[in-house]
Amino acid sequence: MFRNRYAIESFCKSTALHLFLMAMTVACLFPVFWMLRSSFMSNTTIFVDQSLIPRELNWHNYALAWTRGNFGVYFFNSMVYTVCVVTGIVLVASLAAFAFSRLSFPGRNVLFYIFIAAMMIPLPGSFVPLFVMMNKLHLTNTRFGYILCMINVGLPLSIFLLKTFFDKMPSDLEDAARIDGCNSLQIWWHVAMPLAAPALAVVVIYNALNVWNEYILAALLLNENDLMPLQRGLMVFNGAYQVDYPVLMAGLTITAVPIIGIYLLMQKHIVKGLSSGALVG
Amino acid sequence: MKKIGFLACCAFLAFASFGCGPAKAPANEIEVWHWMTDRQDALEALAGKYEQQTGIKVKLVLFAPSDAYTQKVLAAAQAGVLPDIFGILDKRAIVASFIKEGYVMDLAPAFRADGGAWEKSLSVKAVDNNRFTASNVYQVPAGIYGVPIDVSNVQLIYNRALLKKAGIVRPPATFEDLLKDVDALRRVGISPLVTGFGEMWIVDCFASNYAFNILGEPKIMATFRGEVPYTDPEWVAVFNVFKTLAGRKAFIEGIVTKGNKYAEQDFALERAAFSFDGSWAVNIYKSMNPNLDFGVMPLPAIKPATPMRVWGGAGSSFVVNNRSANRDKAVAFLRWLTAAPQQVYLSAQTNNLPSNCEVNAGVSRILGDFLKAMENATHPAVWELNEDPLVIETFDKGIQAIIIGEKEPEQVARDVQAVKARQMARQKK
Repeated sequence: MFRNRYAIESFCKSTALHLFLMAMTVACLFPVFWMLRSSFMSNTTIFVDQSLIPRELNWHNYALAWTRGNFGVYFFNSMVYTVCVVTGIVLVASLAAFAFSRLSFPGRNVLFYIFIAAMMIPLPGSFVPLFVMMNKLHLTNTRFGYILCMINVGLPLSIFLLKTFFDKMPSDLEDAARIDGCNSLQIWWHVAMPLAAPALAVVVIYNALNVWNEYILAALLLNENDLMPLQRGLMVFNGAYQVDYPVLMAGLTITAVPIIGIYLLMQKHIVKGLSSGALVG
Repeated sequence: MKKIGFLACCAFLAFASFGCGPAKAPANEIEVWHWMTDRQDALEALAGKYEQQTGIKVKLVLFAPSDAYTQKVLAAAQAGVLPDIFGILDKRAIVASFIKEGYVMDLAPAFRADGGAWEKSLSVKAVDNNRFTASNVYQVPAGIYGVPIDVSNVQLIYNRALLKKAGIVRPPATFEDLLKDVDALRRVGISPLVTGFGEMWIVDCFASNYAFNILGEPKIMATFRGEVPYTDPEWVAVFNVFKTLAGRKAFIEGIVTKGNKYAEQDFALERAAFSFDGSWAVNIYKSMNPNLDFGVMPLPAIKPATPMRVWGGAGSSFVVNNRSANRDKAVAFLRWLTAAPQQVYLSAQTNNLPSNCEVNAGVSRILGDFLKAMENATHPAVWELNEDPLVIETFDKGIQAIIIGEKEPEQVARDVQAVKARQMARQKK
């Protein structure tokens, strides 16, 4: 009897848990499915046809999104920005985090808190001074200027994440490396960085997502269409008064594919990073 | 191998970040910054035509959404890198600050040249939106500081097929007729009126139309000056319009949280018989439901002897950078853009009302109907003074409270008056 009761209890708990997880999965995936479904509809049917699978598949929307949205150029730009910014952030943030965590120098904590405080400043609040400064440096309307600004945007949180990780690194490893003749920079490269792979994965995916979806700063700093990121292409379909929903959804689908790809590639590391304390604190 | 890969990667990143930098603008080029995604293609086509005719290249740079555009213009002004032509999508006070800082050229001399031919060709109301009179409260030197490239107004749009379904043969002439139509529509299960009352400006616009009808402009201005209280019976009558309409179930469900884009979708999909919306909605309705049969009229009057005023004027306006070396070229382009052939083309391509009144006869029937109300158009931008923003907010939120049955008109009138008194006391200090 007890065994039956235990089995029933276990079955109920497991069913409830699975139902909950299934509901969460549906809730997460439904907007993506809706985006995909809407991307095949037309402006006249998108709000009328309530069926899950559209009666007619308008593949034309994808071609329209690619050509009218000038996605070819924007796609290349977004790839360049994402690669450069993420590389820059990983290099600078890991060096800074290592220094804050493992080196002792005067004002270390004050400097670290200043970095953390930078996270509290909303980006739009610094638009005007940022633009004026970049203009004085002749860096407006250049890829380099935009990349520098985006690296700056991603640094505080990345430093915070990596420092939390480096703090947990056993000092024995560092001592062993020193005995082997490594200097601080070599310890960072040969010991700390390989160990920080899960945390770096979190930093990479978080910042890649941030750069890939960024538009406001690009609109502020860049003028030339040829320099704009992918999000600029989506704006073509999102007018002040009128929104071309099906083509916008097709554009969003195109935009989402690479970032989903990156996430799938780094999935293992991200889960490891999250569970091993990269986000502790 | 690894080293070669690393070097190749570095070379690519260096090329990508440093290369392809912007070239300097050629001397024979004017740059225009705008925010109108829906007009980009038409403007590009016109720019190409202009280059063919004059040899001057017009470079159109689109920044959207409008919030991003506004930030860009503000930042560029601070840095002194505004383009030759741009627009200021902000309150009149901000426009005034741009003018006072010397960023905007006074176009009055250009408008008045050739016996005022340019000014005469444009809609008076639209030009007035860009005009600062000698006695303006912002202390801006009198002048005309912008060129309207189109005009717009906000009116009551009706669906002919749905009215017919409810047995209504003609649109309502008076407020009483509107109430009868509301009842008729409800009887056949059709939602009567949809609009974006989730957006304060539409609440304000709807109320203002009735305030002009019931109180008249002098009494409204007297209220703004603090000489007439909001508890005046005529202001209470304005609030009562909303109570009456809500009581008769005239509004579609959830109207006070509805954004205008969603209200436009509802009307386009024939979910309501009336919509209170701007002329820009024509384009939206046509794209979403090409078979929609609709007409337009001002809101039906409570005092039929007084013509209803509608909010209208310049739709989108451009200004010329006063510090630009290409000022004359910029003015010449704007004059060309607002000339009849270009206005006809813009109107046909974008379904917007032309700012050039000489081409009114050449527009589509529905746009022609919208244009008929332009003579009775008014707008806060052209009023001698405007109400305090906090008072407006209390006024609009009070109306939303009336619609959902939370407050009575008299209570809202008292609340608004209390805020008005407080704000006036602050100003006196």
